[in-house]
Amino acid sequence: METALGLSGYQATMYIIVFVVLGLGIGALFLALFLPARWKLKHWMEFAFVGLLIVVVWYGDKRSAEIVSAYQGQMEQAGVLDQPAIDGAEGFDRELTVIAFQWGFAFLTDDDEISRNAAIVQPGETILFRIFSNDVIHGFNIPAAGITAEFDPGIERDVWIRAPEEPGRYLIQCLNYCGVGHAQMKAWLVVEGEEA
Amino acid sequence: MSNAHDDAARMGAVPHWEPEDVIGKMTLKTLLFSNDYRHIAIKGILTSVAMLGLGGLMAILFRTELAVPDVQFFGARPYMQLMTLHGMFMVFGFIIPFVISLNYYMMPKVLGTGRLLWAGAAQWSYWLLILAAVFLIIARPDFTWTFYPPMSLRVGGDYAFLGYMAVTLVAISEFLAGAVMFRNGWEAARRISWSKLPLMGWGAISEGILLMGSTPILGLVGIYMLTDWLEITAMFDPARGGSVMTFMFMFWFYGHPAVYLPLMPAIAVLYTLLPRFLGRPIWNYWSAVIAFSMLTVLGFIVYPHHFQPAENVSGWLQRTTQLLTLAIFIPSTLHVFNWIASLWEDRIPDSARRAVPFKFIVAAIFFLMLGGVTAYVNAQIATDSDFVHNTYFVPAHFHAMFVGFMANMAMAGAYYLYPYFTGRMYNQALANTHFWFWQIGIFSKVMLMYYLGFVYFPRWVVDYLPLSQWTMPQYMLTGAAYLIGLGFIVFVTNIMWSATRGRVAEADPWALSDDAVKSGTTAQPAE
Repeated sequence: METALGLSGYQATMYIIVFVVLGLGIGALFLALFLPARWKLKHWMEFAFVGLLIVVVWYGDKRSAEIVSAYQGQMEQAGVLDQPAIDGAEGFDRELTVIAFQWGFAFLTDDDEISRNAAIVQPGETILFRIFSNDVIHGFNIPAAGITAEFDPGIERDVWIRAPEEPGRYLIQCLNYCGVGHAQMKAWLVVEGEEA
Repeated sequence: MSNAHDDAARMGAVPHWEPEDVIGKMTLKTLLFSNDYRHIAIKGILTSVAMLGLGGLMAILFRTELAVPDVQFFGARPYMQLMTLHGMFMVFGFIIPFVISLNYYMMPKVLGTGRLLWAGAAQWSYWLLILAAVFLIIARPDFTWTFYPPMSLRVGGDYAFLGYMAVTLVAISEFLAGAVMFRNGWEAARRISWSKLPLMGWGAISEGILLMGSTPILGLVGIYMLTDWLEITAMFDPARGGSVMTFMFMFWFYGHPAVYLPLMPAIAVLYTLLPRFLGRPIWNYWSAVIAFSMLTVLGFIVYPHHFQPAENVSGWLQRTTQLLTLAIFIPSTLHVFNWIASLWEDRIPDSARRAVPFKFIVAAIFFLMLGGVTAYVNAQIATDSDFVHNTYFVPAHFHAMFVGFMANMAMAGAYYLYPYFTGRMYNQALANTHFWFWQIGIFSKVMLMYYLGFVYFPRWVVDYLPLSQWTMPQYMLTGAAYLIGLGFIVFVTNIMWSATRGRVAEADPWALSDDAVKSGTTAQPAE
C-alpha cells in the first residue's frame, strides 16, 4: 500500500543511489589496497566524480521537495494550513484532534468523542491529525503509515495519513524523548473490520 | 613549485620525534600541572581513555538491559541517566578531547612551532572539563545530551542545576581548546606561508573557528537553562512565556558543529599519518584545503536539519537546509577521494600493512563512507519525515562517524604515538586482536542500528514491544557492544603491559621497509 507521502518508488531509487555510491567507494578502497596495479589518478577525475555527486545531490533535493510539496499540497487544498479550502478540492475522510501528553495520546473526534490511546478509523481512508502537546516536545510516528512529526508545546501540527487497507491494530509511538515515561508513550491506530 | 621532499615535509611524511619514555619520566606534578605540550597531550589522552572506559561501561550496562524486551535490571530513570552520561562522556569527555590532545602532541613538531602556543589555555580547558565531568556525575541528569526544554526543566532531578553548570563549563573549556588550536594553526601559517601550511594546520584553523564560533552560544544555553530552572528567567519554557524554538535554534547552532569538532582533528591526524606510512605526499593538497574550508562553513549553517520534521522548519528554510545538508557530500567526497587516490598512486609499503595504526586508518576511511553515504537519506525531508527522524537510523549514522571514523582515528593516533610516549612498541598480536574485535563489533552495531531504524525502532527507550523485527537485532546489537567492550579491555591491557615489557622501539619505529617504494620520498632520519 502506498503511504500518504508516497515514498515506495522514491525510496527505492534513493537506496539504489546510496548502495551504488557506497559500492564505488568501498570498491575503490579495496582495489587501492589489494590490486597489484598502481594508478596515479588525474585531478580531473576528482572534479568529474564530484560533478556526478552534485547531480545526485540535485536529484535527491528535487525528488524529496516534490514529495513533500505534494503532501503539503493536499492539506493546503483542503484548507488545513490556515488557508481557505480550494473549491472542489477533496477533503479528508476523517479528522482527529490529538492531545499528546506525558505519557500518552488522546484522540478527539468531531463529535467530541474521546478515546485514550486508540484512533479508530476505516480501511484505506484519509485521516487528518491535528496534533497538540500540552506539556513538552513530543513526536508522533505511525510506522504502518510511514509518517513522523515532531511538535512543540502550544503549536498545532497537522499531518495526514492514508489508513492501511488491512483491518488490525497499528502502532503509534512518540519518537522524541519526553521524560522517563517516553518508552510507554504508545497508542494504536485501530483499523476496523474483520481481521484476516 | 615545491619539490617532492618539501611536499613530504609539508604533509608530515617525515618523522618528528624520537622514541622516549615520556610517561615514565613524568611525575605527579608534571602530569597535573606541566605546560609542556607532551605532558598536556598525554594527560588529555589518558583521561579520554578513562572517559571511554566509563562511557563504554555505561553502554554495556544499558545494552544488557536492551538485549530482550521488558525491564530487567534498570527502571526508566536510571536507564536514562546511564544513556545521558554515556552520550555526554563519549562526546565531551572522550572523542573531542582525545583527538584534540593528539593534535596538541603533533602540532608543535608537524607545524614547526616547537611548542604548544597558549598551553596555559589548554591547561585551563582540561581542568574545566574535569570539573564539568564531576558536576555531571553528581547531577546524574536523565534528560539526554540534548536536554530539550521544557522536559529537561521538569525531569532533571534535584541536582539538575549542576548539569546546566556543566554545560556552560564544557562550553568554556571547548572555547579555550578552540583558541589554542586556532592560535597554533594561525602562527604556523604566518611563519611558513599558507601555501606550505601542513594540512594539520588547516585542520587546526578550521577546528578553532568551529569551536570559538559555536561554543559561546552553548554557554548561553547553559546559563539560560540554569536561570530558567531557578525560575529567574523563562527563556525556554512556553508555559511561562518562553520559546522552545529559540532553544532549538540556539542549541543546534552549537550541536551541529559539535559533530564536526572531533571530525576535523581526526581528519587532520589522518592527513598527517597517511603520508608517513606511505612515504609520499597526499595526492592533492589543495583539494584537502578546499574540503576543510567547505566543511567549516557548512558546519555552521545546516543545523536546522536536526529538528526538521517540526513545524518551525518549513518552507524556504526547510528546502535550503535540505540542499545545504546534501551539499556536505562534496567536501566529504573530496576528503575520501584524496585518501583513496593517495593509497592507489604507488605501492603500499609492507611496513604500512603491518602497522596497526595504518589498519585503523583504513578502517576509519571505510566507516566514514558507511556513515557518510546514508546522510543522503537522512538529509531528505521526505525520508526524514518517514523512518529517519529519532529512530535508530540516526544513532546508526553518528555511531558510524563517531566510533567508526573518529574513534578508529583516535586509536590510529594512539598506537602511532605509543613508542614516542613510552619508548616501547605495543604488542602486535594484542593490537591486532583489538583491531578486529572493534571492526567486527562496530560494523555489526552500525548495520543492526540501520536496520532497526528502518523498521522504526525508537531512540531513548528502556523497554520495547516484542516485535519480531526488533527483538533479534536488539539481542545481536548487545553482542556487538560486548565485542567492542572486549576490544577496549584488550587495548588497555596492551598499553599497560607493553609500557614496561614491550619491545624497545627503534630510532624510527615507522621507517619504511619496502624497497619498491619509488616515490623518492623515503623517510628521513628522526630528528
